[in-house]
Amino acid sequence: MKKLLYIVLLVSQVFWAQTAFEKGNDFYKKEKYEEAVASYEQVVQSGKQSSELYFNLGNAYYKMHKVAPAIYNYEKALLLNPKDHAAQTNLHFAQKMTIDEIKVVPKVGFSKMINDLLDVFHYEEWAWIAVGSSAFFLLCFIGYYFASQTVVKRIFFFGMFVVLLSMLISVSAAIAEKDNYNSERPAIVFAEVVPVKSEPKATASDAFVLHEGAKVFVLESLDNWRKIQLTDDKEGWIEKEAIKELK
Amino acid sequence: MNRVIFLIVLCFQGLFAQVQFEATVSKNTLGINERLRVDFTMNEDGDNFSPPAFEGFRVVGGPNQAVSYSWINGKKSFNKSYSYFLMPLKKGPAIIKPASIEIDGKIYKTNPVKVTVTNAVQEEVNPYYPQQKTGEGIHLVAEISKTNPYINEPITVVYKLYVSNTASVRNWREMASPKYNDFWSQNIDIKKLVVENGKYNGEDYRYVVLRKTVLYPQKAGKLEIEPLSLDIEVDLPTGRRDFFGRMEYASGNKTVSAGAKSINVRSLPEAGKPIDFTGAVGDFDFKVTPSKTTLKAGESLNLVVSVSGKGNLKLFNLPKPVVPSALEMYDPEHKEKVTTPLSGMQGEVSDTYAIIPQYKGNYLIKPMVFSYFDLNANKYKTINSPEIMINVMDGPSPTSGDNQVAAVPGKQNVVSNDQFQFIKLKTNLTAIHQKGFLGSGLFYSLLIAPFLIIPIIVLARKKKEAIDGDVVGNKIRQSNKLAKRFLSEANKQMGNKEAFYVAMEKALHNFLKAKLHIETSEMSKENIQELLLSRKATPETVQNFLGLMDSCEFARYTPASVGTMQQDYDKAVTVISGLEKQITN
Repeated sequence: MKKLLYIVLLVSQVFWAQTAFEKGNDFYKKEKYEEAVASYEQVVQSGKQSSELYFNLGNAYYKMHKVAPAIYNYEKALLLNPKDHAAQTNLHFAQKMTIDEIKVVPKVGFSKMINDLLDVFHYEEWAWIAVGSSAFFLLCFIGYYFASQTVVKRIFFFGMFVVLLSMLISVSAAIAEKDNYNSERPAIVFAEVVPVKSEPKATASDAFVLHEGAKVFVLESLDNWRKIQLTDDKEGWIEKEAIKELK
Repeated sequence: MNRVIFLIVLCFQGLFAQVQFEATVSKNTLGINERLRVDFTMNEDGDNFSPPAFEGFRVVGGPNQAVSYSWINGKKSFNKSYSYFLMPLKKGPAIIKPASIEIDGKIYKTNPVKVTVTNAVQEEVNPYYPQQKTGEGIHLVAEISKTNPYINEPITVVYKLYVSNTASVRNWREMASPKYNDFWSQNIDIKKLVVENGKYNGEDYRYVVLRKTVLYPQKAGKLEIEPLSLDIEVDLPTGRRDFFGRMEYASGNKTVSAGAKSINVRSLPEAGKPIDFTGAVGDFDFKVTPSKTTLKAGESLNLVVSVSGKGNLKLFNLPKPVVPSALEMYDPEHKEKVTTPLSGMQGEVSDTYAIIPQYKGNYLIKPMVFSYFDLNANKYKTINSPEIMINVMDGPSPTSGDNQVAAVPGKQNVVSNDQFQFIKLKTNLTAIHQKGFLGSGLFYSLLIAPFLIIPIIVLARKKKEAIDGDVVGNKIRQSNKLAKRFLSEANKQMGNKEAFYVAMEKALHNFLKAKLHIETSEMSKENIQELLLSRKATPETVQNFLGLMDSCEFARYTPASVGTMQQDYDKAVTVISGLEKQITN
């Protein structure tokens, strides 16, 4: 009985979140962006998420000309679904509203090639590829083991090694990609204007100034300060309250 | 030829003439209120005269150059002097250091001169020389509008020259113009001096406004306004009358000074000071106006940031607009339309920014804030400009690259213009804190499971092969199967006595036919026994077989229960399978 109650509760919560999402969509269509944001945020507060939810939230903030929350939510949508073209497009629109223009210094060399290869799939996808190749390995083995013709046997034997190799590669890729994902701590500047200091002290000299909506990567933490790096490799210390981390 | 003679003469001059360069002073002891005249004289012309620093003195006149050149009885004499008039600054001994000059490539120096400055001496009264009385009739006054202003609050200094009715001024000359350090100053030109009547110390005087200056203090604390000194040529009555009974005047020079004034500048209050305060003090209006708000990408618009009103307009920076990176903003053109009457600067200063949008879309220029200190209300005031929405109609969208395909003439080029994407209507919500698949138990088990299945497959096959290889066991299983096949009909007829035993007999016959390759006609008991034994069947089994055949025959005529039928059936199975094993083909 108790279990049933839980299930009912859970299901009703899902439905409730779903209706809140749709309510937000309705508000958005009627151009009541503040209500739409409130509605979407409610869904997030209830512990539910989806790439589409963050995307819609970003859109609503964009329409309200709130740059930092818009970019934050687009980035969040892209974290869940990196290939979302709509989110990429709208993120570009939002980034054009920011004050800072930060160049992206292209990384070169072998590590960049490796990273590009890793980025082809999300680490969960890599994991599924590994599982798939493991299953395929079994099939190849069966084929090899039970085939009577030598040619077929050889083909299956060769296939076994190829599949095993691909499995090992995808497992290590998944682990490396997850490691990359965890070590990367992107954040968005929420403060309207914030000086980035050369040292983690309020009295330290300003290295440069950032405006809201700028994307930074957190490298280190010290008390109330975060060491950040920009996409153009500039580094400095920023106060914790000025930024909001994506993960 | 002439030149050679001249040169020779010059050489002789050089040989015979004794160069003299010396310093002489008008007196060696003087009162502090007296002037000292120093002459540096030489008897040859020289270059690069450099006077000493005159420490302890102020140069009030000079250098005056005097050159005399004469031929007397065929003898040439040359004399050149530089004269300075010095005013001692302090009492005590003072040294006039050597001056130097270069004559014919050699540097000559004067001897240092020692001078003693004593207390002020009483000047002897000369009734015909009215200088000593001039102080009574002429005063230079500096009027300062406010002595405790705030920083950047305008104050005015007006210099007035009061002249008594008995004295008259012929001319004046500024000796020292005040330098207004730590002030921003603006002189107000006075085109025509107007003589007015006024009172000075209760007496009737005429006065003239010589100079008006507006000052904006730039530093808090006690600031000094340097004095203005005038050298005035005055006419004073000598007290004598001329032939016609008119007052006789004597002219003389007089130095008047307005005296140094100090003012106490207050710094602006810290309480309630806005963060973006840039030092504007006065009463202002702040405006931000774009020339247009709807335009195409690549067109330019002007954004005018202007501050108008009264106050230190030239002395603060205008706030800078902050624009999104999609709008390219160029350095501003600064314009000042400021007039400075005595009440302080007024007018308008403005910065005009040219802004060129790069991409289509709506962009927001953030509200700008201008803060100033209102002197009347004695507090800070802040003006916010409204936010400005720039609507860029046409142009590349932010996502498109710059490699736009050129349109073929006469054809419409379909450019995939990325538009701002509408919200998504469907979603699949999941819990935020969901464990990933990678690293979960499911992942590992799915990854490992195929490898665990492999040994199972191998084992299963091995088992099968082992079973296949077991010859005896296989035979048993085979013969059992065979017997069962032969007896299947009998099994079906279980319970029906007649049919059962007919089927049983038929089965046994069939078995013999298959095994021994004999016909039914040859099936006598002896024949069967012989044949079976010759095929190495055990006598016991053969006996059982024959017994079974007998019982089949008996059973037709005797009643039999289901129990015996079952017994016979089982026996048949064992016998047939036994024979199957034993018989060799």
